[in-house]
Amino acid sequence: MNKLKTIFILSILFLSVNILFAQKQKDLRINELFLNNVDNLADEYGRHVPWVEIFNSSYNNVNISECYLTNDTTGLAAGVPTSRWYRIPKGDPKTVIPQRSFLIFYLDNMPTYGVFHTNFNPMDSNSTNYVALISSNGRTLIDFFPYKSSLRTATHSYGYQFDFGNKNLDGEIENELSELKYFTPGSQNYPEPMATKSEEISKKDKYGLGLTVISMVVVFAALFLIFVILKLFARMSNKPNPRLKLHSAQKKAKKEEVKNEEKQVSPLVDNGEELAAISMALHYHLNAAHDQESEVITIETPSAHYSPWSQKHFTVKGSPKRR
Amino acid sequence: MDYLEFLKEGISQFYTYTGFANVTVGHLIMIAVGLIFIALAIIKDYEPLLLVPIGFGIIMGNIPFTDGLQIGVYESGSVLNYLYFGVLQGIYPPLIFLGIGAMTDFSALISNPKLILIGAAAQFGIFAAYMLALVFGFSPMEAGAIGIIGGADGPTAIFLASKLAPSMLGAIAISAYSYMALVPVIQPPVMRILTNKKERVIKMRPPRVVSHREKVLFPILCILLTAFIVPSGLALLGMLFFGNLLKESSVTRRLANTASGPLIDIVTILIGLTVGASTQATTFLTVDSILVFGLGALSFIFATFGGVVFVKFLNLFLKEGNKINPLIGNAGVSAVPDSARVSHIEGLKYDKTNYLLMHAMGPNVAGVIGSAVAAGILLSFLY
Repeated sequence: MNKLKTIFILSILFLSVNILFAQKQKDLRINELFLNNVDNLADEYGRHVPWVEIFNSSYNNVNISECYLTNDTTGLAAGVPTSRWYRIPKGDPKTVIPQRSFLIFYLDNMPTYGVFHTNFNPMDSNSTNYVALISSNGRTLIDFFPYKSSLRTATHSYGYQFDFGNKNLDGEIENELSELKYFTPGSQNYPEPMATKSEEISKKDKYGLGLTVISMVVVFAALFLIFVILKLFARMSNKPNPRLKLHSAQKKAKKEEVKNEEKQVSPLVDNGEELAAISMALHYHLNAAHDQESEVITIETPSAHYSPWSQKHFTVKGSPKRR
Repeated sequence: MDYLEFLKEGISQFYTYTGFANVTVGHLIMIAVGLIFIALAIIKDYEPLLLVPIGFGIIMGNIPFTDGLQIGVYESGSVLNYLYFGVLQGIYPPLIFLGIGAMTDFSALISNPKLILIGAAAQFGIFAAYMLALVFGFSPMEAGAIGIIGGADGPTAIFLASKLAPSMLGAIAISAYSYMALVPVIQPPVMRILTNKKERVIKMRPPRVVSHREKVLFPILCILLTAFIVPSGLALLGMLFFGNLLKESSVTRRLANTASGPLIDIVTILIGLTVGASTQATTFLTVDSILVFGLGALSFIFATFGGVVFVKFLNLFLKEGNKINPLIGNAGVSAVPDSARVSHIEGLKYDKTNYLLMHAMGPNVAGVIGSAVAAGILLSFLY
């Protein structure tokens, strides 16, 4: 039984760690892609090559190392990487993408140039029209980013207008790819300042009544939940011990006993005066049972002067003991 | 002759560095305010643990000086600036909450759970002040920071103001602590207006004995419930309930003693002194600060109103014998234990055998939870 328990707990732990890990990598998105790079972003060698921007849409750091970037998903079903899968090496601190941040990869088929240079180039003649991000286990497709072949000659980049998962100007969640107005490698795709939360609220709730109602409801809900829990506490703590539960017959008998006692007592003690008289009588009776004390405490010196020299057992030798 | 000239120049140059050369009327007013705070604390015994550090901080912050010498609280690199970092980044308030948790006995609340709802009702003061601040033209973020004064909770007010309106932090903190000290003056008239003689003499049932198990489970369940609903209040709520668990678990006595003793004392000194020092006349004496003070007073009145009226409303549904004395409604604000003491003193005025202190402690500690939850809500909506 204990073994089974241990296995169960370990498997739950293993699963939760796995789920957590998968969830984290799932938050990565291919956010922007630019192929026809002539005079746009230059890599560390000063070359203008196609680039792709990865966005960590979560509020946690996500490590992208060991994931795959590719434009060939044929090996995905079997989990077998093909020669065009670029495994992102681990060890570079930049591969840990901070929350809501971006990372650029150069799609130049020059993996020897560094961690952020892939082993495929979408401008190659035999290239497919998509870029995919695959998880480190080689089986889970994290993101699939299709584009039209016309992007190879386009002078704009392609991606999510307001970054993946963000709200657009209409307040809807952004999840569609489109041509982008600006090139924004390594930063948010909509560079114009958006209204802050505070500005939005002042527009929608000018006098603060909405916020007040919502907040008061939430405060009451939170404290009401605690109230319910405390009520349950009270019930549980007042619950009699099941071992001490009485049978219905016993309960009846006890009730009758109490009733009888009440009947017997009620005619005896009618009012406070009687009670006072009884108490007074008892008081006298109990006091009378004691001896009369002088109630004087004195410290008297003993008449005979005490001295160890005058004690018999100090002066007389003890009788010898036979060994 | 040249030497005399040098001496004269030196003395006049030194004079420009002294406070006398840079003093303004604003500085003098603020120093007077600081002295009043200290006097109130020492003579009248109004919140001395807070008002003495704040009052002294006000004096320190308003000693005039020449800019650029890394002296003032707003000058990067100065000692006061380093200490003020804990206020600006919201580090001190959660540490104070840790100590409060380690000092608070939630038994009164656990024994009579319906009192917790009074703690929710009294948060009305926060949102009433928020609406009023919007009317006066403050931005929603500033209005939220001003509103939290109504929670009657200094650390929470500092925490929220440091996030939502750092420029108004000094005014908000001073206002919150001043009104907390003035709870015995602000609340009784509102309580008397809203209640009648019959209601004031309602005797409540004595609270039941709370088991050790209940006391231990309380902080654990509370953090799970409240933080799941308002994660943005985690820093305050988490520390509050953690401190309480340290106290109630009875196996971490040393930690609880540290949290409720030396730690909270150190942080109180730092927070009081630096908040006081942040009230430099140049940044503090503005029309906005006066408005903050006015709205702060109103928020306390609204909070008291919310608590008392809610008890009266609740009494409509309670049986005779279970009714709540509306004089404990004011204790829904989290000025622990001052507002509970006000309930008790007011109760004794109308019935000398009606001891409301233990009953009022229930909504009082619920107010601490309520104001932290309210701060979390404001943070998630406005930050």
